[in-house]
This record gives sequence, structure tokens and C-alpha cells, in this order.
Amino acid sequence: MTLSGSLLTRIAVLILVVVFFQIGVVSEVPVFGVTVDLSPLVVAFVGLLCGSTIGAATGFVVGLLVDLALVQTLGVTSLIFTLIGYWCGRLRELRDPQATLTPLLVGAAAAAAAAVGYSLIEFMLGVDAPVSLELLRQIVLGVVVDTIFALPMWLVVRRSLEPGLPDDPRRRRRRAYTTGGLSPLSRS
Amino acid sequence: MYDKTVRRRRAVLVLLVVLSLGLLTAYFGEAPSGRLHSVQRGFLTVVSPIQDGANKVLKPVRDLFSWFGNTLHAKSQLAEVRKQNDILRKEVIAERADEHGYHELLGLYHLDQLSLNSYRPVTATVVGKSPNLWYSTVVIDKGTSSGVQKNDPVVNEEGLVGKVAQAASDGAVVDLITDSEVGVSARINGTNATGVVQPKVGEPNDLVLQYLPGGTAANRGENVVTSGTLESPDDSLYPPGIPIGQVSSEDEESGFKSVNVHPLADLHNLNVVQVLTYTQSSKPARLVGLQSSLPSAGQSNPGSGEGNPLTSASTGVGG
Repeated sequence: MTLSGSLLTRIAVLILVVVFFQIGVVSEVPVFGVTVDLSPLVVAFVGLLCGSTIGAATGFVVGLLVDLALVQTLGVTSLIFTLIGYWCGRLRELRDPQATLTPLLVGAAAAAAAAVGYSLIEFMLGVDAPVSLELLRQIVLGVVVDTIFALPMWLVVRRSLEPGLPDDPRRRRRRAYTTGGLSPLSRS
Repeated sequence: MYDKTVRRRRAVLVLLVVLSLGLLTAYFGEAPSGRLHSVQRGFLTVVSPIQDGANKVLKPVRDLFSWFGNTLHAKSQLAEVRKQNDILRKEVIAERADEHGYHELLGLYHLDQLSLNSYRPVTATVVGKSPNLWYSTVVIDKGTSSGVQKNDPVVNEEGLVGKVAQAASDGAVVDLITDSEVGVSARINGTNATGVVQPKVGEPNDLVLQYLPGGTAANRGENVVTSGTLESPDDSLYPPGIPIGQVSSEDEESGFKSVNVHPLADLHNLNVVQVLTYTQSSKPARLVGLQSSLPSAGQSNPGSGEGNPLTSASTGVGG
């Protein structure tokens, strides 16, 4: 997918708004004892809408912003989010899933990948914390809570980016079939 | 054409992954005064006023969400708090009498205790908090321009919150007491036995008071407070008597005793904190200078204030 000026602006604004909203508001409000993390969701959904290259680049930028703003180890979040954005983009390019529950599943997978990815990298960097039941509980609860927020987040991301997206021929064809416009049956 | 697209896609991925790994390696390997850390501090300086503004604008939204959770939480705690209130009222009456006697003795012996009066509290708003389980830090909107320095103690109305890890001109990063880098010299209120409060490994929301002498009495619900002593020369000099948490259970092994401590401060819900700053010529500054200028006398016995003549000497009776 080619990156138009309009799409680039929309993605940049979306990233900034989500990152600051995440840091300023969402992080302050625990849900079921864990904090909702919108950033992997936004990366996954940008990948799902715009493809792997844009998804990976968005993941890198979001990760870098999060690491810079929260004074975390630079590169950790960028690495995880780059891979999440890329994989979600590849999912769109290879399968182009259209089911209503796709954002829910993709959101859950992205949240799980982010949580497990952080843990793995932190273990590799030498953080002294064994895998405990409490840790697993926090990760699972975090993924569940992020999944709850996946659908609203998907609507926000899609509404923000859709006007800037080029018309996809595959989707145009599918829409035409479902509305009867190009169906061979309608002509007979 | 297809091959070109595939090649470009893979090249972008590889480039971004290599860039991330490069950043990670360089950041992890460099000293806190290094270039990437400076960039991060610079970013914090630029962003913290924006975060502060966003924080203030979005406060009503946050308060609305918090209200639901807090109401449910408060209702469940009401009965327990009423019971505690009755007990505390009796204790306050008894302690007022003790306090009166204590101040008389202080005046009599001209003892100069290290107290909160030696510090200048700077009120700060929390403008950044990581959603990640692995980072026990928050970002506040006050920095060196307000007198905030590295290692300054940070408290809120409930008790000890942590210490300043890094300070930029208009913002600072606070390591919470649940961070693995933080260790606080502490004692169980009402006893003289000191230990070190550290995060409980594997349970990021709980603390453990370690290196208490064997046989120290510790009952469930007793308060753990700062001892007012230093654990190491580069540590923070927390004033004595700041509440840290309550004893939840105890454990004794190999001559030392450790007790599990549940923090009093709700570290998931920090909005406003106070940084206890002090001037270079103040008493805390002199004590920290004294500690760092002397040989590390008590490091062989890290948890015990009794084994460290310096720490006992520096703050009088250790809280």
C-alpha cells in the first residue's frame, strides 16, 4: 500500500493522540487491578488496515515514543511493536480477514504478544523475577482487559484512517458482490 | 514488480528490527550520563509540560473512571476502617501523652533529630506512568528547576512512594518502592530492629522487610516505617517515621527474619506526590556527605542499622 500525505498525517496524529491519552489518562485508571495498554492495539490495527510496511513503521515510532516518554529502556518497545505491526499487516495482505470478530482476536493476540515480549526481553536483560503465579495472573488479566478495549479501539482507528486509505480493489470487488452489483447471478 | 515489493517490505522490517536492537544495545550499555539517556532527558523536558497540560485537561475524564472503582473499593473497606478507627483513637490518646514527654526530653538533652523540618517538600503531579508490569516508575512534572535532585525521597498522603531516579529541568523520574533498584532502611514501628524493605521477588505489588534480627516480634497489621538510616552511600536518606506499609505475614530462616509488607500508598493510583528536597547546606545533605566520605563500615551487614555505626550515628536513634 502506498503511503499518501493524507494517510501519513492521519497516522501521525493518531499515534500522538493515543500515546498521550495512554500516558495521561489510561495509565492512571486501573481496570480489574491492571492497566489497559492501548498502544499495541493501535499498532496492530494500523497494520491490519494499512499493511505490513506501514504497520512495522508505526510500531517502531509508537514504541520509541512510549520508551522516550516513560523513560524506559530504548528499543525494547520499538522492537516488540515493530514485529506486532508487521505481523498484523501480513495477516491483512495474506488473508484479508473480514469477520466481525477479527479485531477482537487481533487485539488479543497483539496484547498477548506485547506482554510476553516484554517479559522475555526483561528476562534476557537480567531482571530478577521468576515466573510466578502472580506474574502470569497479571499478564492474563492484562490481555483480557486489552481485548475488551479492542473493538472500541478498532472503531476509532478505522474511522480515523479510512478516509486516507486508497480504495482496495479486493474489497471493492467483495462489496460489489455482496450488494449484487457485479455478481454474475444478477446478470442472468 | 512483486519481487521488488517483497524485497522492500523485508528490507524495511530488517532495518527497523536492527535499529531497535541497536538502540537497545547502546542504551543498555551506556552510562546514565550517556548520549541516549541525555536525549531521553531532553525529550522528557520538552514533553513534560505537554503531559502536564494534557493531565490537567483530562483530569475530569480520569476522575470519572476512578470514581466508580473508588466507590466500590471504599464500600468494601468501610467496616474495617471503622474498626481500625476505634483502635487508633485509643492509641492516639495514649501517644499524645508519650509525645509530650518525648518533646520535653528532646529539649532537655538538646537532641537535634533529623525530621521532616529539615526538608522542603515540593508538590508534584504525576504526568506519566508506564502501563507495563515491568517498569515501577512514574514521571512527575517537577524537576531540577524546582530543587528536585536525584535520590530525593518521594511521599504522598498515605506514605512512602519512592525516590527520584533521574531529574530533568521540568520533570523527573521516580523509582517506586516496588522497583527492584530500590531498598529502604526500615523498622517495625515500636521496635528498634531495622531491616531493608525491598520488592518481593515475583510479586511486583508487595514488599518484604529483610535482615531483621531473629526473634523480632512482628504481628500482622503492624506498621513498617522508615528508620532514617542509609543503606548504602548512594542511597536516599529517607526521614525517619514515614509509613511504608503493614506487616502481612512473617518468615524466619537462617538466623534472619523477614516479614512481608503490603505498601500503604496505592502505587497504582498516584496523582499528586511530594518530593522531599533539601538544600546543599542542610542537615540531610551534610549527613549524606558524611556517609559517602567515610569507609563503608556497615556494608558487610546490609540490613542491620545496629551493625552500621555510621547509620546509627548519622541520624541519632534511627527514627
